[in-house]
Amino acid sequence: MRVTRTDIEKVAALAELGVDDASAAELQRQLTRILDYVAQLSEVTDDATSAVDERAARLRRDVVDPDPLSRTPKEMAPAFKDGLFTVPRLGELDRGEDAP
Amino acid sequence: MTDFVRAAREAAKRLAACEAKGTHAFLAWSEAALVEQAERLAKNGASGPLAGEAVAVKDVIAESQFPTTCGSKILEGWRSPFEATAVRRLREAGALVAGKANCDEFAMGSSTEWSAYGPSRNPVDPTRVPGGSSGGSAAAVAAGAVTMALGSETGGSVRQPAAFCGIVGIKPTYGRVSRYGLVAFGSSLDQIGTLGKDVTSAARLLGVISGRDDRDATSLDRIPLGEPGPAPANLEGTVIGVPREYFPEGLHAGIRAASDRALARFKDLGAEVRDVSLPHTKYAVPTYYIVAPAEASSNLARYDGVRYGPRADGGLKDVRAVYRATRGHGFGPEVRRRILLGTYVLSAGYYDAYYRKAQRVREAIRADFARVFAQDVHALFTPTTPTPAFKFGEHTADPLAMYLSDVYVCTANLAGVPALSLPIGRDQGLPVGGQLIAAMEGEARIIRIAQALERAVDATAEVR
Repeated sequence: MRVTRTDIEKVAALAELGVDDASAAELQRQLTRILDYVAQLSEVTDDATSAVDERAARLRRDVVDPDPLSRTPKEMAPAFKDGLFTVPRLGELDRGEDAP
Repeated sequence: MTDFVRAAREAAKRLAACEAKGTHAFLAWSEAALVEQAERLAKNGASGPLAGEAVAVKDVIAESQFPTTCGSKILEGWRSPFEATAVRRLREAGALVAGKANCDEFAMGSSTEWSAYGPSRNPVDPTRVPGGSSGGSAAAVAAGAVTMALGSETGGSVRQPAAFCGIVGIKPTYGRVSRYGLVAFGSSLDQIGTLGKDVTSAARLLGVISGRDDRDATSLDRIPLGEPGPAPANLEGTVIGVPREYFPEGLHAGIRAASDRALARFKDLGAEVRDVSLPHTKYAVPTYYIVAPAEASSNLARYDGVRYGPRADGGLKDVRAVYRATRGHGFGPEVRRRILLGTYVLSAGYYDAYYRKAQRVREAIRADFARVFAQDVHALFTPTTPTPAFKFGEHTADPLAMYLSDVYVCTANLAGVPALSLPIGRDQGLPVGGQLIAAMEGEARIIRIAQALERAVDATAEVR
């Protein structure tokens, strides 16, 4: 499975991750090698026995418990104003990437 | 000076000696913080099972005295506003948090070479890695700075460094220890584990941190494991399974010799040693390296420079440019690689071929274990690692080679079963680890078997 430069750009955009040109070429090579390796899973037939873990997640009462924090979001956030996290404006959406 | 304060000052001396040798086991610690905790303990009259014991805490576990950076620049200096349940239970048991232990960034790695703050060194041989990702925790114990430490596992990150450093590491059953406050990597695999200078130390720490926690929906509804019992005199009536897939032709000669010697000791102790098969073992690493990056790509989406951590904006006017710059600069190479790999295998067109397939193979791996344990096998014995500790730089240029060092440990994470690594000998001076694996919730059983083997084998003796 050869990973292309376009693949790297596509998944980097989906992951909101800046990738420079030099590392894009290296990632292309490394991801190709990793995906070639994991492709051996296709040897496993789907009738391989499945084991269902019957332990169910435990439920608790649907109430909001107090969860006091020793530091407020204001102290942790890079930018915070009037009880809100502040960010730069949302730019024009990339066509084809965010369109429904 | 109270006994607790005296113990804290002695612990500080041991930590200083460890770090003075260049071990770099810790990202943060201070004598003042140790003494402050000891004074608080003395004032409150603490008498818990770990009273006055200094315990190192891996830096992916939330703790309020020091920053929680996860070994990453993206959380540089970040302080958690709450503490993990495991840390709270440590404090309730009278323990002192010795400091935050170094680790691969977001626990992704097998050597600590991916820590953004520089690697830890193996105290047994400083030219070699301590393993990872809980390498700082393992190095701290092996260097004698602490007798026990908290680590975390997603694919063997406690047992592999324990084996490389010649100490004991336990990965409990999925759900045995609360994940509340453990920074998420692969949520269906993550577990806090314990490291100790011997089996009883690691088991005592597990006994304290285990048990139900309402803050983690995957926490098992069980009482804490409590203190381990004494080592049994023999293992009569115990059946040890030896999965042949873990002993391939070409297995490292020192690893094989140490394993053979341990199996001979099991027989000396009266156990029955039986050949078994786990046929899907060869698919564990490829399965793991689809499931774990997929979950990581989702879990790490929260680091965007908006809610916490440093923001790389540099005057950027668009929030998405801020996301990309913050994440692009803040994450190191291995984390970036896994986020992209995870995003790729989850993306439209590839989901069925990779992620859905890996989930099915994971079920087959789990079924392998269930079938063997249904045949009256009490525990499995395998090598922990395919080789002893490797040199710095040996695997950093080839991610796949690094991933393959997890080949014998990631199966237990995929299946959810408990497993333990203990030292079983030395090969050319380097520690060799042996692994015991039990059925779900079988921690007490493998701890008991490990205690017996620990007494019967000279782990400091050369094996060939």
